Amino acid sequence: MLWIGRFAVVKQIKIFAVVLAVQCCAGLAWAAQGVAETEVSVAAAQRVISAGGSISEWLVAMGAQAQLVGVDTTSLHPSSLQALPSIGYQRQLAAEGVLTLQPQILFGSAEMGPPPVLAQLRAAGVQIETLPVDADLLAVSHSVRRMGQLLGRSAEAERVLQAFSQAMAQHNKQLDKVEGETPRVLLVFSAGQGNPLSAGKNTVGDWLIEQSGGENLARHQGFKALSSESMLALNPQVIIVADRHNQGLAALETMLSSSPALRHTDAVQKGRVIAIDPTLLVGGLGPRVPQQVAELIDAFYPATTVQVAQKSQ
Amino acid sequence: MLNTSYRLFVLLGTVLAVAIVLSLALGPVSISLQNLVMVLLRAVGFDVASTPALEQAQLIVSQIRLPRALLGLAVGAVLALSGVAMQGLFRNPLADPGLIGVSSGAALGAAVAIVGGAMLGGISEAWSPYILSICAFAGGLGVTALVYRLGRRDGQTHVATMLLAGIALAALAGAAIGLFTYLADDATLRTLTFWNLGSLNGASYARLWPLLLITFAVALWLPRRAKALNALLLGESEARHLGFAVEKLKRELVFCTALGVGAAVAAAGMIGFIGLVVPHVLRLAVGPDHRVLLPASALAGASLLLFADLAARLLLAPAELPIGIVTALIGAPFFLYLLLKSRF
Amino acid sequence: MLQARQLEVRRGPCAVLRGVDLDLRAGRVTGVLGANGAGKSTLLSALCGELPLAAGEVLLNGRVLADWPDQLRAQHLAVLPQHSTLNFAFRVEEVVGMGRLPYATGRQVDVEIVAAALTAVDSGHLLGRSYLQLSGGERQRVHLARVLAQLWPGGEGQVLLLDEPTSMLDPLHQHSILQAVRAFADQGGAVLVIVHDLNLAARYCDDLLLLHKGTVFSSGSPDQVLRAEPLHEVFGLDVLVQKHPERDHPLIIAR
Repeated sequence: MLWIGRFAVVKQIKIFAVVLAVQCCAGLAWAAQGVAETEVSVAAAQRVISAGGSISEWLVAMGAQAQLVGVDTTSLHPSSLQALPSIGYQRQLAAEGVLTLQPQILFGSAEMGPPPVLAQLRAAGVQIETLPVDADLLAVSHSVRRMGQLLGRSAEAERVLQAFSQAMAQHNKQLDKVEGETPRVLLVFSAGQGNPLSAGKNTVGDWLIEQSGGENLARHQGFKALSSESMLALNPQVIIVADRHNQGLAALETMLSSSPALRHTDAVQKGRVIAIDPTLLVGGLGPRVPQQVAELIDAFYPATTVQVAQKSQ
Repeated sequence: MLNTSYRLFVLLGTVLAVAIVLSLALGPVSISLQNLVMVLLRAVGFDVASTPALEQAQLIVSQIRLPRALLGLAVGAVLALSGVAMQGLFRNPLADPGLIGVSSGAALGAAVAIVGGAMLGGISEAWSPYILSICAFAGGLGVTALVYRLGRRDGQTHVATMLLAGIALAALAGAAIGLFTYLADDATLRTLTFWNLGSLNGASYARLWPLLLITFAVALWLPRRAKALNALLLGESEARHLGFAVEKLKRELVFCTALGVGAAVAAAGMIGFIGLVVPHVLRLAVGPDHRVLLPASALAGASLLLFADLAARLLLAPAELPIGIVTALIGAPFFLYLLLKSRF
Repeated sequence: MLQARQLEVRRGPCAVLRGVDLDLRAGRVTGVLGANGAGKSTLLSALCGELPLAAGEVLLNGRVLADWPDQLRAQHLAVLPQHSTLNFAFRVEEVVGMGRLPYATGRQVDVEIVAAALTAVDSGHLLGRSYLQLSGGERQRVHLARVLAQLWPGGEGQVLLLDEPTSMLDPLHQHSILQAVRAFADQGGAVLVIVHDLNLAARYCDDLLLLHKGTVFSSGSPDQVLRAEPLHEVFGLDVLVQKHPERDHPLIIAR
């Protein structure tokens, strides 16, 4: 009981922090926008390129898909983006290739490069917008507002941001009500052959687990391959599988065939394996994140969510 | 004989000129012939009325295509020259510049820069390309120096020992790269992979000069040793009996190769097959005489790399292929064809 | 012209050549005989500076060999190794032309010398062929033409060292090659040649050196060296020594 109480307190603090953060950055961003509007040209950009999966998703969410003239190879969702010309991998952009699309703005993360190409693009008059894509709400609101402002879609940007933060606040409230043990979770990225990679600190995966009220068992930085034995030793109660090629049960089967030892974990024994879309995990937090968090909470606390659902009826 | 080589040089010179012109004229952005001519006229000092299209053409040609063409020219030439030098040193037509450890050393240097830089919290974006180049160059030179030291005994360089030391050190470097690969995160890993495939992308004048200077020096120096290289093919003692300072020659060959390949790899990543295929193919065409083979290889290597880069730029535009893939795709089957055809 | 004084060569702790004195003189062909492992090739390597000497010295025209500038030495001393490992498709005249690398006599002269040297070893017909397509014997002749071209036309002060130049040749060419070597000596050059065939040695050499276990067993004219007892001692072979019916040099017949 003492344990549960402690977690409840932690969750309370978390909600407070989220709300505070959203409000703070709202204020900050408005101020930033006020300054920025004076220096950025009045006309909204009509031709932009996005070099980042979540950036593309946000652009689509704010209704700017028509302004997109090209995307990178990580922009896979929604699938309609894949019909756009591809500029290749975000870290290996080709100056001339990008110029053929005659973009006014190139959006990307700090990983975008190589730097000499960015310099060449700048010299050719392309505005390079490097947006933070860290897995935190402050970064998201800053990036989304910046995109909205440059594309003449500030209102839409506010709308999607609001929806995002409301949904997240909702989830946090929901989490606050749940009871039961915090599930011990492992998120594995099934990269084909060999040991699957697991998501550690400073990954979107880690953030998702935390926001959904789980405890991430992987404590290393970034994605690392864990041996079957150490995964067994961690004995996760829930395993989240992200597989590029398989969904649902097929993803589970693939994972078990490459690391059969996982069969003996609590998660597999009790059937608590969740498949998620791997495109969610790269390139920062996108607009689909709240929905995913909701699903994860359902999976983490099955009994409670049923209760909550019943109460709300 | 002289007549044949004269015709060969005219042919190779023409091919190279065409390759350079095409490299400047073609790209994902289409530039009209008129604007291209205007840009060139402007470059040689004519006063041409400015239009927006002309300004854009000038920017693309002078800031993107020209440095890239020069980079391709230098990398192709120096890789082919180093290939000739190594095939002469090892007296084996299938030797490759990688044998003396320069490529694996450069790869290790690059891995240290890419992964180490990322782990230290990231080097400033503006400096990272330079640091990468410097580390790759230093790695290539360092490992080659070690291979050379290991090959020396009693004041003599044993080429066979050097070869084996090169293999052993390449394996060691491979293990170290593996360790860095393991430590790397996903994004860093992809940078490393792409670097290993080579690219002329992002060529800038600032990074071009060191390579151009080294290429120039190597291209001037090696042909001065053409006769000695010919004699070396007979055997080391035969070359000595013909009056050549063989130890000095071997040292120069290793040094030129380490310098040339190190600089090329540092500027453009790993580009395979040029150093192996170009000298080999030319040897089939004009014979093994280094007085012809060295300059011909430089010209042909430069042309081949420029054409490969054109393919790399145009095939998937607006994205582009790593050039290492293109050279291997062109080089390997052609090489096999020649081997099967000539039964040499 | 090439003098060796008390040569000693060591390989690890053991001396493979000891106390060898040798004097190659103008116009003379010196043959080196000995069983396998007697030190013949070691002697040749020591004489051309290829192997470091543990003791003794080698003088070329009165000057210590190591003191000669590389290129000048190559104009006075040419060496034909036992095996060649050329693995590149040079044409025959290019291989022979490498013998002219120590000189700057110009293309015209070089072409003439290459042709003459090839003719001297009875290989004029190989002109234009690729070296890699030649038989073992043809390759051996081409390399001999190369070292002849290196000293062409031969004269006072020039030394030719040959390691088994006839090992891969048919009987006719064994004789024509050694005649070419003889002709070189007749121009005033000095020749050292390692041979296994005692009768060839008897016929073409002016002096002989019989090596046994790294030392000189006997030396002198063919008549002095080619006697039944020393040959039995060195080769373990019983022989009859007679006079050649037409040429008067010793003729060795195994019993």
